[in-house]
Amino acid sequence: MSDRWLAVAFISPALLLLLAMSVFPLLWALYLSFTDYSATRGGPAHFVGFENYTAILTSAQVHLRALTTLIYVVGAVTLQTVLGFAIAYLISRRTHGRGLLTTLFLVPMMLSQVVVGLFWRFMLDAQFGVINSMLGSLGLGQVEWLTRQRTALISLIVVDTWQWTPFIMLIALAGLTAVPKYLYEAASIDRASEWFRFRTITLPLVWPLLLIAVLFRAIEAFRLFDLVYILTSGGPGVSTETLSFHVYKVAFLGFNTGTASAYGILMVLVVIVLTQLYLRYLNKLKED
Amino acid sequence: MRLATAAMLVATTMAACGQDDGAKASAPKAPATIPELTKDPLTLSFIWFDWPPAHALEAFANAEYTKERSNVTIKVNTVPNANWHDAMFTQFAAHKTDFDIPILDSQHIGEAVTNGNILDLTDFVKKNIDVKAYNPYLLAAYGQYPQAETGKRDENASMYGLPLLGDTWTMIYRKDLIGDKPPQTWDEMISVAEKCQADNPGVSGLAFHQANGSDAAAVTYNTVNGVYGGNLWDSKTRKIEGVINDTAGQEAMDVLVNKMKPLTAKGSGNWFIDEVNAAVAQGKACIAFNWIAASGGLLDPKQSTLGTTREQILDKLGFATLPSQKTNLVPLGGMGMHVSAYSPAANQAEALNFMKWFEQADIQKKWAAAGGVPSRTDALESPEFLNAGPFNQVYADSVSRMRDMWNVPEYARLVDIENTNVNAALNGAKTPKDALDDIAKEQQGVLDSGSRKGGGGL
Repeated sequence: MSDRWLAVAFISPALLLLLAMSVFPLLWALYLSFTDYSATRGGPAHFVGFENYTAILTSAQVHLRALTTLIYVVGAVTLQTVLGFAIAYLISRRTHGRGLLTTLFLVPMMLSQVVVGLFWRFMLDAQFGVINSMLGSLGLGQVEWLTRQRTALISLIVVDTWQWTPFIMLIALAGLTAVPKYLYEAASIDRASEWFRFRTITLPLVWPLLLIAVLFRAIEAFRLFDLVYILTSGGPGVSTETLSFHVYKVAFLGFNTGTASAYGILMVLVVIVLTQLYLRYLNKLKED
Repeated sequence: MRLATAAMLVATTMAACGQDDGAKASAPKAPATIPELTKDPLTLSFIWFDWPPAHALEAFANAEYTKERSNVTIKVNTVPNANWHDAMFTQFAAHKTDFDIPILDSQHIGEAVTNGNILDLTDFVKKNIDVKAYNPYLLAAYGQYPQAETGKRDENASMYGLPLLGDTWTMIYRKDLIGDKPPQTWDEMISVAEKCQADNPGVSGLAFHQANGSDAAAVTYNTVNGVYGGNLWDSKTRKIEGVINDTAGQEAMDVLVNKMKPLTAKGSGNWFIDEVNAAVAQGKACIAFNWIAASGGLLDPKQSTLGTTREQILDKLGFATLPSQKTNLVPLGGMGMHVSAYSPAANQAEALNFMKWFEQADIQKKWAAAGGVPSRTDALESPEFLNAGPFNQVYADSVSRMRDMWNVPEYARLVDIENTNVNAALNGAKTPKDALDDIAKEQQGVLDSGSRKGGGGL
């Protein structure tokens, strides 16, 4: 068997699996998105052109969910980036116990979203939750964390931040430890201040790596479903209903499969376009 | 690029070939006579949501049914309440189910029937079930489709299920706080709760379902709507707009949001069955509403702070039918048993045999004694049922007062619209009027687009 055929033999199982599990469903969804197909109602799928796409793009309900998702993504990712970098910076300056601290900080990230959701649902319970109990002992009033419009979205951001700050921290820590020590040594010879060293050495060198972490987190946050499902069910009303949660409802409550497929395709397109713009910025940064 | 084109071609071809099998949109018929049953080991699987009656059913069926069918094991698969509809209908969509007997909510029947997901049991029922033994309204609610406009059974209509568990709301009240006599009218109930809350710091006047998921907040609004003389829709003209948000509907929403909600515990805007039970068991509510089938745990001293014995708890807790106001309507709960159209033939035969066995008078009485709520009149009036729990008399007294929701294929979307909007009103995210008008408008949109297969899902 030639090298070429050997390579084909090794690659083809994985390639076929990828085609069957990933590429084919995507193309299938793309096809369905141009039809009126419903998974439960059966019957043949009728071609409806761009009707589903037009309905989604002009829907006030979708616009509202897009805004909710945007607030969530920007809020959560910003908070996680600031906190993650700050923690990483503090840990990187320690010589003792760095490994233990890093491991401890990583624990939330290891937990499943469902466990985190249920755990925080109890923590944030207005009547019996630990958070309100602590606020009460400080003489502060009870907060309806999950049942008021503003606090519900803030709660989601806080919980997501609690779980995913370690991810940013981990990547930032990798960047921080990779900064060549001689740069700091040269700066200290020049009697550069701490702030100057941070601003001119640390941040510029870690920044590209941090931006990649932000990219990953933003894509993940854009797809937020589990926490919403468990913590708020999209409530109060639909005020924490994200795009992912809404597309789930379209797909599985109404079983409007064609519409849901178009919705999913649009979400993928948004991620691809934004990622491309972001990557261009990253490349530009690298060139500069 | 060539790869993508090829994949696209495959997808299109498969789409063209693969969707014809779903073209038929009527339920397949079950045989009138039960086919020969297998002697091989067989597991008969149910699907239900996770709550005490589901566990009671599995224990009861394995203890009793296996006396006759020793090769059969009963398995009741449970999912969280919020996943119940999806868990069943995603499997129906795949035309392959890991359950033989789906326990459908009464309002799910329309969707399952029009999609051909469950067997038409009309001939089977005629030959094997004594339909006269039931309250006709219950038989219709749990099995008939289309549902009769009056809610009464139409003897010529098709049957797709048989009752498994009857249910309605009971009012749970603290005898030690408000006295032995339960309030008789809704207005009286509100003022009693108000006084009780004022007299007992730390105890809220009311506890009821307000959550965003399942049908929690929707049933609460429907109940108040019914009591204050409102209607959910005009089933003849399929009109919701102008009906649910008429004067009676607005009064009901006003009562719910402005009079009842202020009497609930802070942060109770996401409470459902378990949270209401917990509030009662921990002595945190003067008056509460909950489904009867979920109320058994309230008498368990291990779960209650109201007493160390069942008797001590019953000294403090009373159970009564819902107060009336302009009408005396109560919500219909409970579910029926159905047979999956996608089960193997041997399992379908066993499912039919189980249903025939389960609906017998003496088995229904045993089911009642085991914690079930029967639908046969003789079992409902039996001492086995009435003595099994302090709330069972409430159910027996409520049967003639029940009102169901819309039994239509669009149910899942209609209830979601109502749930999210009532939840929004209860939690201050919308004004009561806006919430009600939005319900009417959005639900009407769903009904009007019902004939279209795509779209309308936003």
